[in-house]
Amino acid sequence: MNSTESLEDQKFRDSIREWMTTHLIEEFEPLRHANGLGSPGYLAALAKRWEQELAKGGWTGLSWPTEHGGRALSLSQQMIFHEEYVQCGGPGRLGHIGETLLAPTLMAYGNEDLKNQFLPGILNGTTYWAQGYSEPGAGSDLAGVQTRARQDPQTGDWVIDGQKVWTSWAHESDWIFVIARCEPGSSRHKGLIFLLVPLHQAGVTLQPIRQITGESEFNEVFFDGARTPSTCVLGEPGQGWSVAMYLLQCERGASTLGQQAHFQNELNCLIQVAQTNGAFKNPLLRQRLARASLGLRTLRDHALRTCGDNAPLRASSISKYAWSNWRRSIGELAMEVLGQEGNIETDIAKQTAMQRLWLVSRADTIYAGSNEIQLNMMAERALQMPK
Amino acid sequence: MISLQLKPEQQQIVESAEAFLTKGSPMNLVRATANTSVEMDTHLWSEIANLGWCGVHLPEEVGGLNLDWVSLCLLQEQMGRRLACVPFFDSAVLSATAFKALLPNPHAIHWLEKIVQEKAIAAMSLSGEHAVATAAEKGWQISGNWPAVGSAQLAHVVLLPARTLSGETLLFALPAQSPGLKITSLNTLDKTRSVANIQALGVNLQTEQCLALGPEADAILERITYLGAIGLAAEQVGVAQQCLDMALSYVLQRQQFGKAIASFQAIKHRCALMLVEVESARSAVYGAAFLADTQPDLSVLMLSASQARVTATEASQFCARENLQLHGGVGFTWEYDPHFYLRRSQASSQRLGPVHEWLERVAALIETSDLSHP
Repeated sequence: MNSTESLEDQKFRDSIREWMTTHLIEEFEPLRHANGLGSPGYLAALAKRWEQELAKGGWTGLSWPTEHGGRALSLSQQMIFHEEYVQCGGPGRLGHIGETLLAPTLMAYGNEDLKNQFLPGILNGTTYWAQGYSEPGAGSDLAGVQTRARQDPQTGDWVIDGQKVWTSWAHESDWIFVIARCEPGSSRHKGLIFLLVPLHQAGVTLQPIRQITGESEFNEVFFDGARTPSTCVLGEPGQGWSVAMYLLQCERGASTLGQQAHFQNELNCLIQVAQTNGAFKNPLLRQRLARASLGLRTLRDHALRTCGDNAPLRASSISKYAWSNWRRSIGELAMEVLGQEGNIETDIAKQTAMQRLWLVSRADTIYAGSNEIQLNMMAERALQMPK
Repeated sequence: MISLQLKPEQQQIVESAEAFLTKGSPMNLVRATANTSVEMDTHLWSEIANLGWCGVHLPEEVGGLNLDWVSLCLLQEQMGRRLACVPFFDSAVLSATAFKALLPNPHAIHWLEKIVQEKAIAAMSLSGEHAVATAAEKGWQISGNWPAVGSAQLAHVVLLPARTLSGETLLFALPAQSPGLKITSLNTLDKTRSVANIQALGVNLQTEQCLALGPEADAILERITYLGAIGLAAEQVGVAQQCLDMALSYVLQRQQFGKAIASFQAIKHRCALMLVEVESARSAVYGAAFLADTQPDLSVLMLSASQARVTATEASQFCARENLQLHGGVGFTWEYDPHFYLRRSQASSQRLGPVHEWLERVAALIETSDLSHP
């Protein structure tokens, strides 16, 4: 463990702050402090231009190796970036499914042609990706996938029929990665294929799902003879499960670092509301607010201890469970702090943000592996308890 | 930005301490101490002193190893796992650290040398609210009570705060055998640690025996409270870890309905929740221990100490209770070990202030902090 932040790290921090203060201005002003789609001022087209601005400044692909145009920064430098980014009002990122989930999987499983085809668009913020995993009959039990892929004998194209669900931001995306069954009659983890499929085509229909927030971040995606070229496959046909699992590791691992900086923003907002509305005078609420603050510090310490290469499996498997439960609990606390006001719709920005946090955070313990699935995995993998 | 992964030499401390204490403090020896009126495992204490552990964080001038607070906490964690029946926390973690903060005071040097080189034991109270010091002809006279002081019955020297009539704090170091000082051992539910009341009836002390006074004494007591909280939290992580390990080993071997109960989801989820608690608490403790080495100001140290203390207390309480529950009926017997961990966990949860006091400290800080955007 090093004792204090190095001069190099401090310079890096300064360079982020300087760039943000000279770029998050003018047309991008409405994005300042906006958490993501659904937040006031956060329009997808503008958010995409912002991603391109970040790319020009060299602030995308921070974790990518240099051979793919990335910066190969250490975990701690990535964390510094996320912290400063949020401190400077940086908005929620639209490109993270491509940048932090698909890209590392492409690097691990894609050939040179595929990498050349897709990585530059992800890096420069011009191509956006959606994740086609869950289906109506395959949620926690992902291996129950029913979507079918068959190869057109004439063209070699893969032709896809079926349905995906809970697909985040599909309506703002260009491509989707899909796990589908390519061997008829196969079951469970066998006979699956990991396909890269363009969304803008006749065989694909999107149906937005109205969420409890009233917004539609998620979609149903219907494939009816949708096509993708024979080259757009990661891994061997039939071996898609291992590719899909590799990607999930990225989802539960280092890609969550950026979230923590946003959590700090949400917690600060909650504390400010409590400072102004008198909630701190309540002896029980003050204890819960203190607990929430300490909880976030522990999430951060845990990331610093376990996001590196040498982290013991026992330690690294818990972060998804820990952060999602922490955030859901501060959503609940936010509504207790608001009291009866919590039921009233107003145009007070902080109040709206807290009401939104309460609703949005109900999904945290469900998506990307529900609480119950996370506990199963910890028990069976980290603790080696029998199936 | 920092990494909280252990360095190879720190990992080595963990491994050697783990190996030593597995052999040196097995449950049959813990029971031997707990089932009788003896106050500690004398043989184990002697071996620990020979290894130099009492001076791990102390300067070389007094014979210490001059390592960091993280290293001390790693030892504490292993002590907790094995419920080591020794006064390590009271003597090395609390008292020696207070003496260290008082260097180069000659009394501090004297006692530190005895602690590191002559197996002396020190004990300390962090509150002088029930003790009065009055100026006497050749120094001070103190009278009062220091309730429930850890390891006081074993101590050669005690560090005791007292207040003047005008409310100023004084911090004294005096031999446990001082005339007028009465130390009364207490029967405790946690049989693995010694606790005693200290009473002073007009004990006369020389001016030099007062090692700090006024704001300096207050600041030292506050810092030692925070550092002690981190050290105790490390021990609590060890308790929690061992409870998880014991529970796992039991549910893997216990058969019901024709198979190991570890294969039932109800059992798995409880063990996984223990894992979340243990690993989160360990992260909080490492983070706090690391920060302690950077000599931060008191409000920063307070936040980290609160974090470590709250997280580790709750982890240890949760795991001690779950361990007993997962053992089923035998968990309720004297013969099985879970109750020793339950007792230690409960006793530790009330030392240096319970969870709600630490949360109140944090609440008072964030209530007035300025969080507006720059």
